[in-house]
Amino acid sequence: MTESVDLGGHKVRIFPVTRIQGRADIEVLFTPDQKVIEARFRGLEFRGFEDMLSGVPVMRAPSVVSRVCGSCGPFHQLASCIAIENATGCEVPDAALWFRELLTWLWLAFDHLLRATYMVLPDFALPMSDVGVRNVAGIYMVEQETIGRLTAVQSAFADSLALLTGLPIHPSVVVPGGVSYIPDWSSLAKVGDLMEGCEHDLREVLRLVEMLTRRNTQMIDTLTPLNGFYMSSAMHEHPALMGDCMIVTPFKGGEPRFIGQDELYESMEENPVAWSYVKPVTVGDFTPLLVGPLARVNVGFDTDTPWAELEATRTHEHWGHPLDRDLLFFSAMALEVIWAWEKARLLLDQRPRVKEPCTDIDFKEAEGVAIVESPRGSLVHHLQIGSDGEVAGYRIVSPLQFNYDLLNQHLSGFAQRSISGVEIGEVAVQTLQLAVRSFGPCVSCGTH
Amino acid sequence: MYIATVDMSSCGGCHNALLAIGEPLIALLSRHTLSFSSPLMDRRSISPSDVVIACGAIGTREELEVAGEIARTSRKVIAVGSCAVYGGVCGSGSARPETDFEELDLPHLLNRALPLDSTMDIELYIPGCPPPPNLIFEALKSVLEGYTAPHFDATVCSECPRRVTDNHVESWDPHPSYGAGNETCHLNAGHLCLGPVTRGGCHAACTSRGAVCAGCRGPSEMVLSSQLHSIFSDMVKYMSLTTRTREDRVAGQLQAMLRSIYLFTRGDPVTWARVGERLPKD
Repeated sequence: MTESVDLGGHKVRIFPVTRIQGRADIEVLFTPDQKVIEARFRGLEFRGFEDMLSGVPVMRAPSVVSRVCGSCGPFHQLASCIAIENATGCEVPDAALWFRELLTWLWLAFDHLLRATYMVLPDFALPMSDVGVRNVAGIYMVEQETIGRLTAVQSAFADSLALLTGLPIHPSVVVPGGVSYIPDWSSLAKVGDLMEGCEHDLREVLRLVEMLTRRNTQMIDTLTPLNGFYMSSAMHEHPALMGDCMIVTPFKGGEPRFIGQDELYESMEENPVAWSYVKPVTVGDFTPLLVGPLARVNVGFDTDTPWAELEATRTHEHWGHPLDRDLLFFSAMALEVIWAWEKARLLLDQRPRVKEPCTDIDFKEAEGVAIVESPRGSLVHHLQIGSDGEVAGYRIVSPLQFNYDLLNQHLSGFAQRSISGVEIGEVAVQTLQLAVRSFGPCVSCGTH
Repeated sequence: MYIATVDMSSCGGCHNALLAIGEPLIALLSRHTLSFSSPLMDRRSISPSDVVIACGAIGTREELEVAGEIARTSRKVIAVGSCAVYGGVCGSGSARPETDFEELDLPHLLNRALPLDSTMDIELYIPGCPPPPNLIFEALKSVLEGYTAPHFDATVCSECPRRVTDNHVESWDPHPSYGAGNETCHLNAGHLCLGPVTRGGCHAACTSRGAVCAGCRGPSEMVLSSQLHSIFSDMVKYMSLTTRTREDRVAGQLQAMLRSIYLFTRGDPVTWARVGERLPKD
């Protein structure tokens, strides 16, 4: 299960970390007397997208950069388009903004449901089962109805995306200057029907997540609270996938700080480490930092999504505010699916009459930055456009890079509490992996 | 039967496309046995399997070892996605930033990401970035149940609702504007679209929604069976014919767009061998 590395027997490697997006391991470092010094989560893949993009015609960059990640790809594509638009001063038509927003909510829910069903659920539904059955197929064999409900909701979002974009993964409809087309009324009506049709199953899924999370109350109560700050992109003081500023709030309480997106970009610092292809990023004095579903739920939903707001209030009443135990990420994901479902339905009722999909872009030497919220958290794209309209420089900062310090601090804490000696048992291995999964690491994005 | 899935250097999109199938996939998996699959289960060692769904290119020495282990212990491997089939977007191996990777305590990166068939026999190839979920599922079922999976000889153009017009085009924009909102063929409108040389099966998901085809399903059967094995040459011929523009003029313009044309296939050794001199150097 674990592989010892010949460094005086003081380093143990758990490889691969399972049920996450991408290839990674956990290294546990020991003192000579076998006490844990630290544990670190290491990203093991590297593809070099930032350099690959250099010289690419700017209009092609979003479709290349979407291949950074199979989960967050549409959000990379969107961030890339917004960075180009910010650099060139392009005004995106209202209809395109509307369609983009609809798609982002559908993508958010789809990704959360996929991750919840295949990667997270086994930890909550069959935590002590044998490794051979602790997976979605194993759960299906004993609890077909539960999986049926989850996949029914997942299919409603996947089918909606297939209707609107052709493919649920790496679709090409979001383009610089707008979108490639505006869907017709009949497609939108079908999406409306799909959303309406999954409401009952969605309610059941929410109750299931609540039940499974509460079943772990004893474990959650013993967890070390998250420290540092949580951050989300926001608009009108509430989290937004395409916001106009950032909200940063300390976990221990206190007034939230509002900072501009450009200011955030300027204050970001990359701190590469020799042991991982993930480069941790710090933002000014806000260390350590958490981004993602838990952070967004803590910022608080707006009143235009009453169901999500009500459920979030119930969750906070039970677990406190802010949600500061990492295992509550499952509840946060479920709340965000409700949030996305309500937002999508609102947008479907506000179909624009004018259907202009896209405006032309006038290229000039310029640079632009964009920050969007992806399923895993805040995602930053910065690009420089050269004199011939080619990409002269590109930088991506992903949620895992923001979360990396907090994740590793937390992982080390877990390791120090649960491991005694270099012989790491399967239970401890699972505990460490669960600690990693709680942060929803996307290694593909993190290493890009 | 024992089924496994493995993800190497990739974005994970092909695996997600497989998972997007939902309950039919889960029901199928529950009737068989998952032998290993790091995105789905906690078994960390590679064990013998009847069918392996392999996604991603081989990008590190560690992945080279994993691929060797799979080749030794598995009966049939389905290569899913353009990274697995052609090397994909990261197949050029172009991107090595200033960091000295030799000094890092991490898996050593290969000079170029390799497609899977450089190390193992492949039963079925399902290219795409990602392939449509139903094609992956059909491939898996066909191998499990022993029937022949549907094969797509046709190109994206044959599935595209846009019409080729009798339109003389002087030039193609390397910065294509999107959302033209009409039913005309993108190439006739002066936008580089790889539909004529790209394998179909995707129901023209991009072109029917206003975007151009980026060629993610890789070269069509026609290109693969041609002597030159060159997407570039076939594109030049097609564009010249349909837009009444001289071949040398088209070729001159497309030369500047080679990175876009070979975005998904630059890592393919056959492509390198045949048209390597034309491929973009990064």
